[in-house]
Amino acid sequence: MDESEDVPKDFIKLKSEKLSVDEVSELVVSPYCGAVSVFIGTTRNNFEGKKVIHLEYEAYTSMAESEIKKICRDVRQKWPTIKHIAVHHRLGVVPITEASVIIAVSSPHRAESLEAVTYCINTLKASVPIWKKEIYEDEYSWKENKECFWANSKK
Amino acid sequence: FRGQVSVLYFARSAELAGLRCETLRVPRQVTSLQLWEEIVRVHPRLAVIRDQVVFAVRQEYVLLGDQLLVLQPGDEVAIIPPISGG
Repeated sequence: MDESEDVPKDFIKLKSEKLSVDEVSELVVSPYCGAVSVFIGTTRNNFEGKKVIHLEYEAYTSMAESEIKKICRDVRQKWPTIKHIAVHHRLGVVPITEASVIIAVSSPHRAESLEAVTYCINTLKASVPIWKKEIYEDEYSWKENKECFWANSKK
Repeated sequence: FRGQVSVLYFARSAELAGLRCETLRVPRQVTSLQLWEEIVRVHPRLAVIRDQVVFAVRQEYVLLGDQLLVLQPGDEVAIIPPISGG
Protein backbone atom coordinates (compact mmCIF):
# COMPACT_ATOMS: atom_id res chain seq x y z
CA MET A 1 0.00 0.00 0.00
CA ASP A 2 1.28 3.46 -0.89
CA GLU A 3 1.33 5.75 2.15
CA SER A 4 -0.87 8.19 0.25
CA GLU A 5 -3.57 5.47 0.29
CA ASP A 6 -3.27 5.01 4.07
CA VAL A 7 -5.28 8.13 4.82
CA PRO A 8 -5.54 8.87 8.56
CA LYS A 9 -8.94 7.81 9.87
CA ASP A 10 -11.01 8.23 13.02
CA PHE A 11 -13.17 5.27 14.05
CA ILE A 12 -15.82 6.32 16.58
CA LYS A 13 -18.51 3.98 17.81
CA LEU A 14 -21.02 3.96 20.66
CA LYS A 15 -22.65 0.54 21.00
CA SER A 16 -24.42 -1.67 23.49
CA GLU A 17 -22.63 -4.90 22.53
CA LYS A 18 -19.48 -6.12 24.26
CA LEU A 19 -16.37 -4.26 23.11
CA SER A 20 -13.46 -6.08 21.49
CA VAL A 21 -9.83 -5.10 22.03
CA ASP A 22 -8.83 -7.10 18.94
CA GLU A 23 -11.38 -5.30 16.79
CA VAL A 24 -10.41 -1.83 18.00
CA SER A 25 -6.65 -2.38 17.69
CA GLU A 26 -7.00 -3.88 14.23
CA LEU A 27 -8.83 -0.75 13.08
CA VAL A 28 -5.74 1.40 13.64
CA VAL A 29 -3.01 -0.97 12.48
CA SER A 30 -1.02 0.44 9.57
CA PRO A 31 2.03 -0.80 7.69
CA TYR A 32 3.54 2.68 8.22
CA CYS A 33 3.18 2.53 12.00
CA GLY A 34 5.47 0.81 14.46
CA ALA A 35 3.24 1.50 17.43
CA VAL A 36 -0.35 0.92 18.46
CA SER A 37 -1.21 2.18 21.94
CA VAL A 38 -4.41 1.00 23.58
CA PHE A 39 -6.34 2.12 26.67
CA ILE A 40 -9.09 -0.08 28.09
CA GLY A 41 -11.44 1.28 30.77
CA THR A 42 -12.94 -1.58 32.77
CA THR A 43 -15.58 -1.70 35.48
CA ARG A 44 -14.55 -2.17 39.10
CA ASN A 45 -16.62 -4.21 41.54
CA ASN A 46 -16.48 -1.80 44.45
CA PHE A 47 -16.80 1.86 45.36
CA GLU A 48 -16.28 3.23 48.90
CA GLY A 49 -16.90 -0.17 50.43
CA LYS A 50 -20.09 -0.78 48.47
CA LYS A 51 -20.37 -3.73 46.13
CA VAL A 52 -21.03 -2.65 42.54
CA ILE A 53 -23.41 -5.04 40.80
CA HIS A 54 -22.98 -3.53 37.33
CA LEU A 55 -22.72 -0.19 35.51
CA GLU A 56 -25.18 1.46 33.16
CA TYR A 57 -24.14 4.05 30.61
CA GLU A 58 -26.25 6.50 28.65
CA ALA A 59 -25.19 9.13 26.13
CA TYR A 60 -26.31 12.19 24.20
CA THR A 61 -25.22 10.14 21.25
CA SER A 62 -24.98 12.67 18.43
CA MET A 63 -23.13 15.19 20.60
CA ALA A 64 -20.88 12.50 22.11
CA GLU A 65 -19.78 11.49 18.62
CA SER A 66 -19.09 15.08 17.64
CA GLU A 67 -17.15 15.76 20.86
CA ILE A 68 -15.05 12.63 20.27
CA LYS A 69 -14.44 13.86 16.70
CA LYS A 70 -13.17 17.15 18.19
CA ILE A 71 -10.80 15.20 20.42
CA CYS A 72 -9.46 13.34 17.38
CA ARG A 73 -8.94 16.65 15.56
CA ASP A 74 -7.06 18.05 18.57
CA VAL A 75 -4.92 14.91 18.78
CA ARG A 76 -3.89 15.32 15.15
CA GLN A 77 -2.95 18.97 15.74
CA LYS A 78 -0.86 18.13 18.80
CA TRP A 79 0.75 14.98 17.39
CA PRO A 80 0.81 15.29 13.60
CA THR A 81 2.40 11.88 13.05
CA ILE A 82 -0.62 10.03 14.49
CA LYS A 83 -2.11 7.76 11.85
CA HIS A 84 -5.43 6.26 12.98
CA ILE A 85 -7.56 6.75 16.08
CA ALA A 86 -10.33 4.46 17.31
CA VAL A 87 -12.66 5.20 20.22
CA HIS A 88 -15.33 2.66 21.12
CA HIS A 89 -17.59 3.30 24.11
CA ARG A 90 -20.18 0.92 25.40
CA LEU A 91 -23.70 2.01 26.32
CA GLY A 92 -26.35 0.29 28.43
CA VAL A 93 -25.49 -2.36 31.00
CA VAL A 94 -21.79 -3.19 31.41
CA PRO A 95 -21.01 -6.15 33.71
CA ILE A 96 -18.09 -6.02 36.14
CA THR A 97 -14.63 -6.47 34.54
CA GLU A 98 -15.93 -5.86 31.04
CA ALA A 99 -14.64 -2.89 29.07
CA SER A 100 -16.66 0.32 28.98
CA VAL A 101 -14.25 2.14 26.70
CA ILE A 102 -11.40 1.17 24.38
CA ILE A 103 -9.14 3.74 22.73
CA ALA A 104 -6.46 2.77 20.20
CA VAL A 105 -4.02 5.08 18.41
CA SER A 106 -1.31 4.27 15.87
CA SER A 107 1.83 6.22 15.03
CA PRO A 108 5.19 5.51 13.39
CA HIS A 109 7.00 5.67 16.76
CA ARG A 110 5.66 4.89 20.21
CA ALA A 111 5.99 8.22 22.05
CA GLU A 112 3.21 9.94 20.11
CA SER A 113 0.61 7.18 20.34
CA LEU A 114 1.26 6.68 24.07
CA GLU A 115 0.79 10.39 24.73
CA ALA A 116 -2.20 10.65 22.42
CA VAL A 117 -4.06 7.77 24.10
CA THR A 118 -3.57 9.44 27.49
CA TYR A 119 -4.85 12.72 26.10
CA CYS A 120 -7.88 11.00 24.54
CA ILE A 121 -9.12 9.34 27.71
CA ASN A 122 -8.46 12.39 29.89
CA THR A 123 -10.27 14.71 27.48
CA LEU A 124 -13.12 12.25 26.96
CA LYS A 125 -13.72 12.29 30.70
CA ALA A 126 -13.84 16.08 30.69
CA SER A 127 -15.97 16.76 27.65
CA VAL A 128 -18.00 13.89 26.17
CA PRO A 129 -21.70 13.76 27.19
CA ILE A 130 -21.84 10.20 28.48
CA TRP A 131 -23.15 9.29 31.96
CA LYS A 132 -22.41 6.31 34.19
CA LYS A 133 -24.74 4.95 36.83
CA GLU A 134 -23.25 2.56 39.41
CA ILE A 135 -25.77 -0.01 40.61
CA TYR A 136 -25.16 -1.29 44.17
CA GLU A 137 -27.13 -3.88 46.09
CA ASP A 138 -29.60 -1.43 47.65
CA GLU A 139 -29.18 1.79 45.72
CA TYR A 140 -27.51 3.44 42.75
CA SER A 141 -25.42 6.52 42.08
CA TRP A 142 -24.84 8.75 39.08
CA LYS A 143 -21.07 9.19 38.91
CA GLU A 144 -19.33 12.48 38.22
CA ASN A 145 -15.87 12.67 36.66
CA LYS A 146 -13.50 14.91 38.58
CA GLU A 147 -12.47 16.24 35.15
CA CYS A 148 -15.99 17.62 34.64
CA PHE A 149 -15.76 21.31 35.43
CA TRP A 150 -19.47 21.74 36.24
CA ALA A 151 -19.62 18.95 38.82
CA ASN A 152 -20.12 20.18 42.40
CA SER A 153 -19.76 23.76 41.32
CA LYS A 154 -20.60 26.31 43.98
CA LYS A 155 -22.55 29.28 42.69
CA PHE B 1 -41.23 36.00 19.72
CA ARG B 2 -41.49 32.44 21.06
CA GLY B 3 -40.40 29.35 19.20
CA GLN B 4 -40.52 25.58 19.62
CA VAL B 5 -37.30 23.93 20.73
CA SER B 6 -36.58 20.28 21.52
CA VAL B 7 -35.47 19.87 25.11
CA LEU B 8 -33.50 16.70 25.92
CA TYR B 9 -33.03 15.37 29.45
CA PHE B 10 -30.24 13.01 30.51
CA ALA B 11 -29.21 11.01 33.57
CA ARG B 12 -30.39 12.57 36.82
CA SER B 13 -32.23 15.38 35.02
CA ALA B 14 -34.31 12.78 33.11
CA GLU B 15 -35.22 11.11 36.41
CA LEU B 16 -36.24 14.42 37.98
CA ALA B 17 -38.19 15.65 34.95
CA GLY B 18 -39.76 12.23 34.39
CA LEU B 19 -39.07 12.25 30.67
CA ARG B 20 -36.26 12.23 28.11
CA CYS B 21 -37.46 14.75 25.55
CA GLU B 22 -40.21 17.19 24.77
CA THR B 23 -40.97 20.26 22.70
CA LEU B 24 -41.27 23.54 24.59
CA ARG B 25 -42.22 27.02 23.42
CA VAL B 26 -39.52 29.37 24.68
CA PRO B 27 -38.47 32.94 23.86
CA ARG B 28 -36.30 33.18 20.76
CA GLN B 29 -33.83 35.41 22.62
CA VAL B 30 -33.19 34.49 26.21
CA THR B 31 -30.27 34.22 28.61
CA SER B 32 -29.22 30.71 29.54
CA LEU B 33 -30.32 31.34 33.12
CA GLN B 34 -33.76 32.54 31.97
CA LEU B 35 -34.09 29.45 29.79
CA TRP B 36 -33.29 27.29 32.82
CA GLU B 37 -35.97 29.10 34.83
CA GLU B 38 -38.53 28.49 32.04
CA ILE B 39 -37.74 24.78 32.12
CA VAL B 40 -37.90 24.61 35.93
CA ARG B 41 -41.35 26.22 35.80
CA VAL B 42 -42.46 23.17 33.77
CA HIS B 43 -40.48 20.67 35.91
CA PRO B 44 -39.99 22.12 39.41
CA ARG B 45 -38.10 19.04 40.64
CA LEU B 46 -35.17 20.07 38.44
CA ALA B 47 -34.42 22.97 40.77
CA VAL B 48 -32.27 20.78 43.03
CA ILE B 49 -29.62 20.26 40.33
CA ARG B 50 -29.33 23.89 39.22
CA ASP B 51 -25.76 24.25 40.51
CA GLN B 52 -24.55 21.12 38.78
CA VAL B 53 -25.83 21.37 35.23
CA VAL B 54 -24.89 23.08 32.01
CA PHE B 55 -26.85 23.27 28.79
CA ALA B 56 -25.86 22.02 25.38
CA VAL B 57 -27.47 24.33 22.81
CA ARG B 58 -27.10 23.08 19.24
CA GLN B 59 -24.51 20.66 20.74
CA GLU B 60 -22.28 23.36 22.24
CA TYR B 61 -21.93 23.64 26.02
CA VAL B 62 -23.41 26.77 27.62
CA LEU B 63 -23.13 27.67 31.32
CA LEU B 64 -26.24 28.84 33.16
CA GLY B 65 -25.82 32.59 33.34
CA ASP B 66 -25.99 35.79 31.35
CA GLN B 67 -25.06 34.36 27.97
CA LEU B 68 -27.67 35.44 25.44
CA LEU B 69 -29.04 32.60 23.35
CA VAL B 70 -30.67 33.16 19.98
CA LEU B 71 -32.86 30.11 19.45
CA GLN B 72 -34.24 28.94 16.10
CA PRO B 73 -37.36 26.76 15.85
CA GLY B 74 -36.34 23.12 16.08
CA ASP B 75 -33.08 23.81 17.94
CA GLU B 76 -31.95 21.13 20.37
CA VAL B 77 -31.36 22.18 23.97
CA ALA B 78 -30.05 19.49 26.30
CA ILE B 79 -29.76 19.49 30.09
CA ILE B 80 -26.28 18.17 30.89
CA PRO B 81 -25.66 16.89 34.45
CA PRO B 82 -22.03 16.18 35.43
CA ILE B 83 -20.60 13.71 32.94
CA SER B 84 -19.01 10.37 33.71
CA GLY B 85 -17.91 8.73 30.48
CA GLY B 86 -14.82 6.62 30.06
